[in-house]
Formats: sequence, C-alpha cells, structure tokens
Amino acid sequence: MLRVDLTAGQTLVAEAGSMVARQSSVHMQVRMNANTSAGFWPKLASFLIALVRKFVGGETFFVNHFSAPEKGSVWIAPTFAGQIGYRKMHNERITLSTGAFVASTGPLDIRLKFGGIKALLAKEGVFFLEVSGSGELWFTSYGGIHAVDIDGPFIVDNGHIVGFEGNVTYRIRNAGGGFMGFVASGEGLVCEFSGTGRVYLQSRSVGSLVGWLKPLLPG
Amino acid sequence: MHIEIGYRPAQAMASVSLEAGESIRAEAGAMVGMSTNIRMQTGATGGLLKGLKRSFGGESFFQNTFTAEEGPGEVLLAHALCGDILSLDMPEQGLFIQSSSYIASAEAVDVQTKLGGFKSFFGGEGLFVLYATATKAAQILIGAFGGVEELACDGSLVIDTGHLVAWDATLDYSVGKSADGWLSSFFSGEGLVCHFRGQGRIWIQTRNPQEFGHAVGRLLPARER
Repeated sequence: MLRVDLTAGQTLVAEAGSMVARQSSVHMQVRMNANTSAGFWPKLASFLIALVRKFVGGETFFVNHFSAPEKGSVWIAPTFAGQIGYRKMHNERITLSTGAFVASTGPLDIRLKFGGIKALLAKEGVFFLEVSGSGELWFTSYGGIHAVDIDGPFIVDNGHIVGFEGNVTYRIRNAGGGFMGFVASGEGLVCEFSGTGRVYLQSRSVGSLVGWLKPLLPG
Repeated sequence: MHIEIGYRPAQAMASVSLEAGESIRAEAGAMVGMSTNIRMQTGATGGLLKGLKRSFGGESFFQNTFTAEEGPGEVLLAHALCGDILSLDMPEQGLFIQSSSYIASAEAVDVQTKLGGFKSFFGGEGLFVLYATATKAAQILIGAFGGVEELACDGSLVIDTGHLVAWDATLDYSVGKSADGWLSSFFSGEGLVCHFRGQGRIWIQTRNPQEFGHAVGRLLPARER
C-alpha cells in the first residue's frame, strides 16, 4: 500500500477506486482520464477513447485528483496482489499497460495509445498509457515487477507486460512453433521488444488466474 | 542450466539461463518472457496417449520445450497462482509430484503421470501424481500455492492431499480418508489425506488450491452456456 503525504497545494492523480483512506483535509475530485491542460478537442477525443476503453478493456476511465489545500495524506492500494513500482521522471517517457497505472504527481502527461489491430485480437495490450514529462509515478503489477534491461530483442508474454521505457519498439507476434504453437502452447500471443531500454514485466498474469478459476465456476 | 528464483515467496518467478543447445520443458502457459534466440516448440510430449493421460491428471495436454539456439539464452517461468517456487536437484531415487504443482524440468528428467486410483475420484480432491526420474544431474521446478515448507518424514506422517506438493520416492504413500468413517471424514472438512511411511522429505504448500477455488468459484456468476 502506498501512502502519499501531500504538502499544501500539491495534487495526486490516482486510478479511480484505488483510494483506501484519506485525511479529511484532502479533497477529492473525479476527472476523466485526460490531460488537465488539454484543449476541447483532445478532451473530446479522450472521452471517446475512454468510452471504447470502457467497453473493450472493462477498465475505469476516470481518475481521482486528490488535492491538499493544507497538507494531508492519502493511502492508495492497487487491485491485485503485487508490487508497487516507483519512478521519478525527469522529462522522460514511459509506456505502461493500462492496468498498471496507480498514481502520479507533478505535471505528467498521460495519454492513451492504441496498440494496433493485432492487439485487439490478443485482447491484451489493446491500449497503452504513455506517461511523459516530469514528476513522480507509481505503477503496479500482479506479482513481482521484474525489470529487464534490453539491448536487442526480448520476448514477453502479452499477459505479463507491465510497461517499457527508453528507445524500445515492439511488435506482437505468436510465440513460435507455428500454428500448433499458436493454438496449443497456452502462450497465445507474445510481444517482441527490440531496441535499447528497459522492459517491466510481472510474475503473474490475470489471464492465467481467470483460466484457472473458470472450471470452478458454478455450472 | 542455471536457475534463479526471485520475488519469493508470494510472487515467485524463475529465471532459467540456458547454455547453447540446452533445453527445458515447461507446462503450457508458464512462459513469462524469453530471449529471442530461444526456440519454443509445442508438442504432446511422449505422444498422444501420454498427452491424454497428462490432461486427465490435471496437467496440460501440450507442453512447450524451450531450446537455446546459437548461444546462451534466458527463459522466465511462473505459475498461475500466487506462491513460492521450488527448484530441486533430482534425487537419485526420483520424486513424486502433485500434478498441478509441476512447472518445468530439464530435458534429462522423465515425467510420468500416475493415476491416483479409484479413491481420488470420490474425494473431490483428486490426487494425481507425477513420477519424475532422471538418469543424470538435473533440475526440476515445482510451484506451490502459498509458501512451501519442507518436512522430514521419519516413520510416518499424514498430510491433506490439497496441501501436498512433492515427496521423495523413497516414501511409501497411500491415499485414504482422514477420519475413521466415511461420514466423519466428510464432515471433518479434511477430505482426503495421504499416509506416508518411511524416510524422506515431503514438501507441502501453506494454502489449498481446491479449497480456494471452491470458496471463490461459488461466488462468481454461472458460466455462460
């Protein structure tokens, strides 16, 4: 669980529904997942994207802004059992899978990025969040967050991607082993990253948990 | 082959470093990430019949073999449930493993499915067991739900089948009811237990996946037809 102590005038942006507690001196405002400084059109666009995301990804598209006129604390916890990663950003850019965002402070710009048609097929990684600028960022995982510094290609199972940063590009492909590999390996689609940078992955996948639970649902 | 396990105990993940030409066989769906020079091959290890037997025993019909080509490579492997991972050197006399705990093993390890017999069908907690043997030094990866604890059996020990992970093949085992009568076994909530006799090590997990599954599964909406 994360505790953020805000000094007077600071604002914390956190994923909707992630607040555990706050001191009553801290005010909460619900905002759409858009950049605060964006004009009308980007806002409209992000609203449409948010709607799509709501349907496709089943995710929240609202964020809460916690602001402290005086000082105060907020406690934040992610949904899944996992780690919280912290990153101080100095005019940098990091891309997170949509469920990975927990909270941020400072003038960070958060944008949704469409992962491509192939990502739609994979059902995972349809959208990414691109966080750029300066500020503090907290992100989460299901399981441990494993950072891999890559210099050249590296393959990650789609369900295990937390995010990536640096000069990294990716493409979605099947895990190998031809058609059999695609239908029967249980690995589905994977993401092949290349370039130089850092890839964050998680040691558990929500998809696997759901797959394990499915046979146990009441008939 | 070099195995390192991180994020223990709850979120354990194994990073397996393979030398050129080395390979590791893993349960379908266990791969988290890998280097691009690792070739993944999917197949029903041991043929159709063995594959069927495996899927009957609660494991995956297909398994993946990861081989490092043209130089060393790395594969990251994990388990679907939250818990620890054990990396064991194969003992000479072999190991018995609860089938749903198996994650991966070196190519030199031969894994056979043993059907638990008549009793396991009625207990609700079917005990399907794998028998792993190796002709040379090799490693095997086993996943637990919750923490994992090594117990030494000296004489005899009784363990709930839902908490069993693996045990030395030097031990004799038999599956039975937990209390004296079938009725009291049923009401005791313990289901089936495994009776061990002899000398050897037993690994247990601190949570019972079947119990967890029933507790959570019951609360979820019915499957769509």
